[in-house]
Amino acid sequence: MRLVGPIMSGRSSSERAGPTSVLERILRSYRPAGFLPVLLTVLLVSFALFIPNFVAVQNLLNVLRSSSYLVIIAAGQMLVLIVGGFDLSQGAVVALTSVTSALVMVAFKETFANEPGLIILVGVLAGLGCGAIVGLVNGLCVAFLRISPFMVTLGTMSIATGCALLLTSGIPVYGMPKSYVEGFGRGLWLDLPTAFYLAAAVVAVIWVMQNYTRMGRYILAIGGNMQAAIVSGVPAKTYLILSYVICSMLASVSGLAFTAQLGSGQAVINAQLTLESIAAAVIAGVSIKGGVGRVEMVALGAILLLTLTNAMDLLRIDPRIQAIFLGIIVVLAVALDELSQRRAALV
Amino acid sequence: MTAVETDDMSRVAEAARDGSDLLLELTNISKRFPGVVALEGVDFEVRQGEVHVLFGENGAGKSTLINIIAGTYPADTGTFKYRGKEIVHLTPQAARVIGISPVFQEFSLVPELTVEENLFLGRELTAGGFLNRRAMRARARAVVRGLNFDLPPDYKVAQLSRAHQQMVEIAKAFLTEVRLLILDEPTASLTDAEAAKLFELIAKLKAGGVGIIYVSHRMREIKRIADRITVLRDGHKIKTVEAGDVSETELVELMTGRKIGVLFPKIKHNPGDKLLEIESVTLSDQSVNDVSFYARAGEITGIAGLVGCGKSEVIRAVVGLEPIESGTIRVRGKVISAPTPAAMTKRGVCYFPSDRVAEGLALARPVRENVSMAALDLPGFSRHRLLQRRSERRIVQGIVEKLSLRPPLIERAVASFSGGNRQKVLLARGLTRDISVYLFDEPTVGVDVAAKAEIYELMQTLLATGVAIVLVSSDLPEVLNLSHRLYVMHRSHMVAELTGANINEPAVLAHFFRERQTDGIVAGEMHATN
Amino acid sequence: MSEASISNVSLRSAAETSRHRRAARWGFVLLMPLLIVAMALAVSLVEPRILSLRNIINILVQSSYLLLFASAQMVVILTGGFDLSLGMAVSVISVATALATTGLAAADAPAWLVFVAGLAVGLGVGLLVGAFNGLFVSLAGINPFVVTLGSLNICYGLATTISGGRPVFNVPDAFTRPLYDGTFIPGIPIPVTLAIVVAVFLHLLLDRTVFGRALYLIGNNPRAANLAGIPSKRYLFLAYVTCSLLAAFGSLMLTARTGSGEPNLGGSLMLESIAAAVIGGVSLQGGVGGIVPAVLGSIFVTLLSNAMNLLEVGGYVQQILLGCVIIAAIFLDRVRATRA
Repeated sequence: MRLVGPIMSGRSSSERAGPTSVLERILRSYRPAGFLPVLLTVLLVSFALFIPNFVAVQNLLNVLRSSSYLVIIAAGQMLVLIVGGFDLSQGAVVALTSVTSALVMVAFKETFANEPGLIILVGVLAGLGCGAIVGLVNGLCVAFLRISPFMVTLGTMSIATGCALLLTSGIPVYGMPKSYVEGFGRGLWLDLPTAFYLAAAVVAVIWVMQNYTRMGRYILAIGGNMQAAIVSGVPAKTYLILSYVICSMLASVSGLAFTAQLGSGQAVINAQLTLESIAAAVIAGVSIKGGVGRVEMVALGAILLLTLTNAMDLLRIDPRIQAIFLGIIVVLAVALDELSQRRAALV
Repeated sequence: MTAVETDDMSRVAEAARDGSDLLLELTNISKRFPGVVALEGVDFEVRQGEVHVLFGENGAGKSTLINIIAGTYPADTGTFKYRGKEIVHLTPQAARVIGISPVFQEFSLVPELTVEENLFLGRELTAGGFLNRRAMRARARAVVRGLNFDLPPDYKVAQLSRAHQQMVEIAKAFLTEVRLLILDEPTASLTDAEAAKLFELIAKLKAGGVGIIYVSHRMREIKRIADRITVLRDGHKIKTVEAGDVSETELVELMTGRKIGVLFPKIKHNPGDKLLEIESVTLSDQSVNDVSFYARAGEITGIAGLVGCGKSEVIRAVVGLEPIESGTIRVRGKVISAPTPAAMTKRGVCYFPSDRVAEGLALARPVRENVSMAALDLPGFSRHRLLQRRSERRIVQGIVEKLSLRPPLIERAVASFSGGNRQKVLLARGLTRDISVYLFDEPTVGVDVAAKAEIYELMQTLLATGVAIVLVSSDLPEVLNLSHRLYVMHRSHMVAELTGANINEPAVLAHFFRERQTDGIVAGEMHATN
Repeated sequence: MSEASISNVSLRSAAETSRHRRAARWGFVLLMPLLIVAMALAVSLVEPRILSLRNIINILVQSSYLLLFASAQMVVILTGGFDLSLGMAVSVISVATALATTGLAAADAPAWLVFVAGLAVGLGVGLLVGAFNGLFVSLAGINPFVVTLGSLNICYGLATTISGGRPVFNVPDAFTRPLYDGTFIPGIPIPVTLAIVVAVFLHLLLDRTVFGRALYLIGNNPRAANLAGIPSKRYLFLAYVTCSLLAAFGSLMLTARTGSGEPNLGGSLMLESIAAAVIGGVSLQGGVGGIVPAVLGSIFVTLLSNAMNLLEVGGYVQQILLGCVIIAAIFLDRVRATRA
């Protein structure tokens, strides 16, 4: 959460001093993430020109699909970052959701033998329930027990992973209804992956929330100046908890979609998911300190990240080395954000 | 007629009908926070159409009282009557709905939100669950126009000057119908012209029957607009007086509990060499513009000015805590090109920050460690990077006893000491090294009267050893009575240097409110005009 | 400076303070040792093997390793930071050291060279990781969580890359013997001796040097430390380097024990080291901690997992339990912070 001090000192004259150097102007424009679409376009064009197979339909569909999963999760991470928090448990929630939904669907296979729709419904509800519970625990600990979000989500991450492993002993769970896997997970509507529509819907809903509802303003206020929010009568604790719950549930949504595509419930899912979601958010201009964030930018950030990953895959760069790049990117992105904030405070 | 005006008319009529003109009646209000009694048995009332000033030092309980009235938190004991009805379970929301509008000193604004978004924070207008932006935009414009402010509704608050931010804060109060307005040091960052507009507004509100609680300790304003004044000290109500019946001296005496003459010692003036000189210093964020001053040994150099004028920033820049764009800093004649706290300390310049909790003290650590913090590289405290605990203990114990720290237990955590004693721990740090220039930044904020006197005595003792003292203070009596030479700053510029008989309140206040008339003021050449 | 802050300033009257604090201090100081003894006794009712001499020695040896990592973590937690990369750094150091030593052994290098080279490579990589973390945290002022989250991934990538994803076997005796087999002091296994040496060294560092004092001050109030002229950036950097060097040493010890360079060695170490430090009494707010909390915390966590193993509790459940223990420990830490 931001401190009030340095930002509230404003300026003693009523004019704003202009940027005094090119570097500062560049850093200034970074803050509203104005250059992200430009960067993305440049990258897409360069990759299309220089990397064989990049423009192949199958490849683009893959990128679109995997971006979609990340977009959903990153949107959730953004909410928590805006209120000044952090969620390290997202990856674990995805795993737990995957496992739970698959197990429940398999369990109810007999009961609803002729109603695959119901089987899916029950599984989905179970999966979403996992997200809700983890999110609730995170939110309650942060809001009421006032524990650092890093520590709480570190703890729930451990617990959720443990539960997922416990339920399956590490073995994938097969047996989900065909319509779920073929129709939803691996299907194409209007030639685009179903996950894309899901991600688009999520982004749309959150965009509306941010711009047209009270919650959008409240979470910015809570992250920007908690004291101001409380004094203005914003129910801070409620919205804090809500942010964590929605974040975890979005991780569940993504988990459900991903599980459908995989065709099995897995307790061991992409270990870097959490870092990727944070990276996508930070690249998109969401500040670690809170109070700033736009979902459309986060979506672009996620797409950018996965486009880069895809390009590296096509160039046959070892995924383990990609992990190194990811780490460097995150650190640099946050450093840039920090620097641009410092410049902004001085100008 | 605007919405505000029609409401006024009906309210006056209402008051005439009601007969009772007591808007707010608080009886026996007490409030405790962990370890601190903020208010004890306070009675307070506000009539309709009255400007009632709350007067007292920092730490007296003013902010606690207005927070209780605004519904931020409840009182522990006492009754709260508003317009004749007893109120319990007040929340900030509910308070605003019934017409209690606070304008806080520490802004309740979110920097990354726009003016309009901040105005409506917590009480947005909605249509069917969604934000009704058009309605909010219209209402925002109406309110701002009605107040005669020039505020662009779609600017982010972080982009505004401090004065404009204050205006947003005030506008916030007028979003809903106002019956009881609370103003906490509202003119702190306003220009003369803007303050005048505010007083016009206050007059209009008074005529409309609005009650106003005005927190301030600026005599000139109080004299101008107050009807009654209530003096608080250490959480107790001392007295409520009619504004016309009391003199300034009496007010200050009520506030401090001491006769003025006794509070400030007469410190001998023995000016020597210039130990610190700053020339034409301008800071990167423009909070200080082309400022020059000097400090001599054996002399207390004061810097006075309104909150936000840049006086604290000036001395912070001397030790490198604020980024300097241009200008020179000289210590004992030698130019220091890139000051840092560490470098300046080694050169014998010691800065005592105004916010001792945030910047000065490590509360959970013992007094000993806090005092020795700045001297860890000196013999007596360490040798070859290894600490010399026994020697450290001896030295710190000695210093702490000299300053009458109560109780003089150096192993106890600083958090367990009162404000006045905490300040002494901070000052003790300045006695661990060879220091020739002391920079005091608001040294007696939140310090009880007894400790204040001891701190002034310390200054007297130090001065006798031939050091230079720079005293930056928003406490007018303090800076008037202690300074041998007084600079006045106004909106980032140095506007006056006063000596001798010219150091008096009317002269200083004249400079507080006057717009700068000439450019490039050189210290020492301007003289105060009465 | 206005009092209109919602947060409460906690002052106390002098008498109240000394009574409360003395009671609280004794309470918390005794809590850990009591808990350890209580847990051991409780479990012994069901599984008496826990109190056997062999098991106790086993616990001591295990805690020795954890102590190194817990105290590494403690050094940065003191400054108000964190090292999430600890586990992965341990992995990459293990692999690098194994590669170096097996390489040299295959080239018939003399025993002492193998040993020294192993130490050098291990500590050297540790130095690099610590420098990376320290640089970005102190100079660029980035949140340590983000920096160490980044270095976590980098180390993970490096570890799996240079090891090819598989353990590097047959680390030569020249390296493992001095760090693991046998005893320096009769009766005390080498790992325990080494841990004691490190503990003593760390205690002296924290308690008797300017650096140590500065760490506490920086952790408690970085702005005040800066204002007092303490070279915070330099010391912050050194804190992260110290942390990684300690972790590196621990990694060398672990590698000596397993006899192979494991890319998964670090596994749950990050969580365990944090749990041990916090449970022992190192406060996450920074500025509170010491070698004693690290020791007690390490013994507690080791005892807990030892008890669970003896009681044949599954590995996954243990992980869940660890997560719960962490949350409980932090909650306790918060309670401690608001009271003190």
